[in-house]
Amino acid sequence: MFPLLTLATFLPLVGAASVMGLAGRGGSRAHGISIATTGLVFLVTLAIWARGTAPGGFSQIEEITWIPSIGAAYRLGVDGLSLPLILLTSLLFFLSAIYSARVDDRPATYVVLMLMLETASLGTFAALDALLFYVFFEVSLVSMYFMIAGWGHEDRQRAALMFFLYTLLGSLPLLLAILGLFLGSGTFDMRVWVDAPQLSGLAAMLALIAMLFTFAVKIPSFPVHTWLPAAHVQAPTVGSVILAGVMLKFGTYGLIRFAFQMTPAAFSQAALVILVFGVFSALYGAFAALAQSDLKKMVAYTSVNHMGYVVMGVAVAGLTVDPQLRAVALDGATLQMISHGLVTGALFFLVGMLQDRAHTRAMDDFGGLLGRVPWLGWAFILSAFASLGLPGLAHFPAEFQVFLATLNIQPWAVLAVLAIVITAGLYLRAIAAVFLGAPNDKWAAMPDLDRRELWVILPLLALIVAVGVAPGMLLGMIHATMAAL
Amino acid sequence: MSLLSLTLLAPLVAAAAILVLRRASAALALAGVLLGFLGAAGLLFGAARGDLLQAALPGLPQMPLRLTAGPLTALLSALVATVAALVVVYAVGYMRKDPEKPRFFATLLFFVSAMQALVLAGDWITLLAAWELIGFSSYLLIGFWHGREGVAGAASRAFLYTRSADLGLYIAAFILIGSAGTSEISAGLTTGGVAATIAGLGLLIAAMGKSAQVPLQDWLQRAMAGPTPVSALLHSATLVAAGAILLIRSAPMMPAGVLTLIALVGGVTAVITGLMALAERDLKRLLAASTSSQYGLMLLAVGAGAPIAALLHLLAHAAIKSSLFLGAGVFQHDRDSTNLSDLAGAGRARPGIFAGFALSALALAGIPPLAGFFSKDAIIAASLAAPGALWLVPLALIGTVLTGAYMARALRHLWRGKPPGRAERAPWMAAGMGLLVVPAAVLGAGFPAIEGLLNAAPPGGEMAVALGLAAAALGLLAGWFIPAPRLLGGLLPWAQGGFAVAGGMRGLVLRPALAIAALTETFEQRLYNGALATGRAMLSLGRISRETDETGIDGAIFALARRTRETGARARRLQSGLIHRELALTVLGIALVTAVLLAAPLYS
Repeated sequence: MFPLLTLATFLPLVGAASVMGLAGRGGSRAHGISIATTGLVFLVTLAIWARGTAPGGFSQIEEITWIPSIGAAYRLGVDGLSLPLILLTSLLFFLSAIYSARVDDRPATYVVLMLMLETASLGTFAALDALLFYVFFEVSLVSMYFMIAGWGHEDRQRAALMFFLYTLLGSLPLLLAILGLFLGSGTFDMRVWVDAPQLSGLAAMLALIAMLFTFAVKIPSFPVHTWLPAAHVQAPTVGSVILAGVMLKFGTYGLIRFAFQMTPAAFSQAALVILVFGVFSALYGAFAALAQSDLKKMVAYTSVNHMGYVVMGVAVAGLTVDPQLRAVALDGATLQMISHGLVTGALFFLVGMLQDRAHTRAMDDFGGLLGRVPWLGWAFILSAFASLGLPGLAHFPAEFQVFLATLNIQPWAVLAVLAIVITAGLYLRAIAAVFLGAPNDKWAAMPDLDRRELWVILPLLALIVAVGVAPGMLLGMIHATMAAL
Repeated sequence: MSLLSLTLLAPLVAAAAILVLRRASAALALAGVLLGFLGAAGLLFGAARGDLLQAALPGLPQMPLRLTAGPLTALLSALVATVAALVVVYAVGYMRKDPEKPRFFATLLFFVSAMQALVLAGDWITLLAAWELIGFSSYLLIGFWHGREGVAGAASRAFLYTRSADLGLYIAAFILIGSAGTSEISAGLTTGGVAATIAGLGLLIAAMGKSAQVPLQDWLQRAMAGPTPVSALLHSATLVAAGAILLIRSAPMMPAGVLTLIALVGGVTAVITGLMALAERDLKRLLAASTSSQYGLMLLAVGAGAPIAALLHLLAHAAIKSSLFLGAGVFQHDRDSTNLSDLAGAGRARPGIFAGFALSALALAGIPPLAGFFSKDAIIAASLAAPGALWLVPLALIGTVLTGAYMARALRHLWRGKPPGRAERAPWMAAGMGLLVVPAAVLGAGFPAIEGLLNAAPPGGEMAVALGLAAAALGLLAGWFIPAPRLLGGLLPWAQGGFAVAGGMRGLVLRPALAIAALTETFEQRLYNGALATGRAMLSLGRISRETDETGIDGAIFALARRTRETGARARRLQSGLIHRELALTVLGIALVTAVLLAAPLYS
């Protein structure tokens, strides 16, 4: 079988190499290569999707021996958890490449960083070898650091450094956990670790705590989320989209793949504590978002809220013995990752488009824009209602399943459902302040979305509606895997 | 199946077509609602023949989306389709000059689709989805003139109020799905025990939000910022009806305690919002308060154990209230205002419209043989027969008296006052309203057929008829002859203030929420600064180690290198390049080596 996963993972590096080879030939060539490469990668991931996954276990395995003495190998593969995330990743990178076609500040370097980041991200989700996973996981940090530090906004240096130190320090415990699992099993093959628990008792609990620390930083969960708003506000638009849409999912993906699957017994013991953090994060993120007047920061905090629901879903799955309820919770948590990628991606793009035009993100600087820029306005309204969980749009089926499982497993935790009212309030306030009311004359000449911007935003909006109306197209694949966990 | 999809999809497809084509919006809208009406009529005929149409669509794993057209749901679907069709006919005239007509019709049709999905829902997920979507389309329609002052606030408030209450429906759905093991509504309604009580309370809260019951009544009056056809369709006959519909459908599950609470909420709302209507200075807001009050009477009937009486009043009220709103819209067009003082005499300028308005007003007050007479009698009879008759009957009767009073007051304002001018003809508006006044008048004759269809008989009795008639007549006479301030007396300022307690929602919910948000933000700043300080501490740790490196380790290394260099420089002096000196040195060296070698035996 042709190694499509390897192709998708390393195609961006080929693109990056050719950009470097053609350095100095101007930005349009670099952006052309970037759009072509990411588009091709997207097609390859669609082909991977067409091949499908098998219920229970991994499929489309690609394996090459690497360091046989320690059981490390180049191993890639997908299941119903990683494949949706791979599709989301390739889509968001493709749209980001289109969006950044207008970046004229060191375009070649920018494109190379973005393509490297794509390889790292796809590799993180596809890796079935823990050492390989860790390498991809760390490499992604480097690209994102330079992206924020080089192309960010006013206070970018500090934010980039904070992001880097936070997540780098955060990922060290994971390395310890991986080493622990290796010592327990003598291999780095993640399939072995998933199939049967390799650690037990105190060792398993320590490994779990180490993993939880790393993933909590990445997700991010209260109280280690403070890097997120800082990084988002300063990051360039594409940086925010990739950070929120793809890189936060490293955390929740790791939460299921590592914490939930590799140390199941310890996870069940700790699940109540994890659930508390999830519930608190969801509520805290919503209230923190309500306090913001900077649009980008507001959207950033809603990520804390939405990712809190994912944590809740995984935690309650660890608390129940009923396989049906557990599948509902994990289905919801996994779908929520995809929905959040689509919706928050769209929102960050739209805020970026607004900022490109107005050079401000403070919602009180606007007013009455809906009549002036209807495409931008309606796209924002649709994305905002998706984010607040309106049925028929992407978040509803995911959150519904998470809450349904939560209420029937730990009734008190459904308290987090209050957050859907808070998010409704904050988005309605933002819509009213920016788009409704009397038009502000300051923006009388603001142009509506151009064709490039429509190419970026319309696919996302279409998918937000598609996932909301027919979640089955992803849930079928997700459910087949989750029901077997 | 095909009838179900026709009912649901015809308006939706028309809405999409309007958005894409952006022309002929009125014609497309008419086609959409008429096709939808045919579908709903087909469903009703099918249900009358005893068919039970069902459809299952793919939804969540093991929880498909279901649609059911049984007697009750088909009847409600027909009601929605009828009112929607007539309101669209009216809106063709009302929106004739509005440049954003396509957006209006598309949103209105989207709403109709969502409402049909709500009444036909066979599972909790469909119901919940449709429930939230009608709230969303209501937000869009209230905010239709989004550039005007106060509109954004009214729209946001409506969505937020109803969404807060929707949490009740979310919780109830989670509980009922969990305890029944399936998402089907019919299975969920067999739940009993504590689960039924909690779910029942959740459903009640959701219904209070949508049906604008005390203390969540305030959004409905502000919603009058939207176009009048919206008020007629959404805020009298459909969206607001969703709350009552939910309780009517789930009545079989409700434990006695919850039923009592429902009746109490309904009765209190009927009285309080009735007083607010009496104090109102704006015709549309008067009608909105009256809507809350009438839905209060319906909840009272559900709580009294007679959901059929609530359903009959719901049907009668839908026709009556939408025709009242449509009439108000005609007057609004004539005078560019809905303020009662501006509308003085507006009725005389249009005797035809005024006659229709008056007929509907009398029907709402409960004058025989108009529709409201029968349904209101059923409600009073239900309260007489209920266990809590002692406090239910007075609430129902006061509600009825107030209905008569505020309707008489509206009629008096429209009829008396300055001499009328000529009004231009409004054929579409007159047609839409005229066709709604007919059922408002004669629907009572159809009630036996409906009771037969649903196989339920409402309570009756001469006592109820006599009490109802006396209350209606008393209300009408008092409202016509006595000015509202004198009728209300000391209650007037309260009624005008909307009976807000402790600052209303603003004081009880909004301010605490914002305070928590501010607290979070303060904490967030601390946390951020803390993280930054930790980062700084680590950086300065790095700096210290760098200095140690530079002065210590680096220093040592550099010193070593320096000394090596110096040694080398000294050594270089020996390499002078002068042959004779090199030779001499070589000889000296050889001599030294030889001496060492020769001396070897001495020290070995």
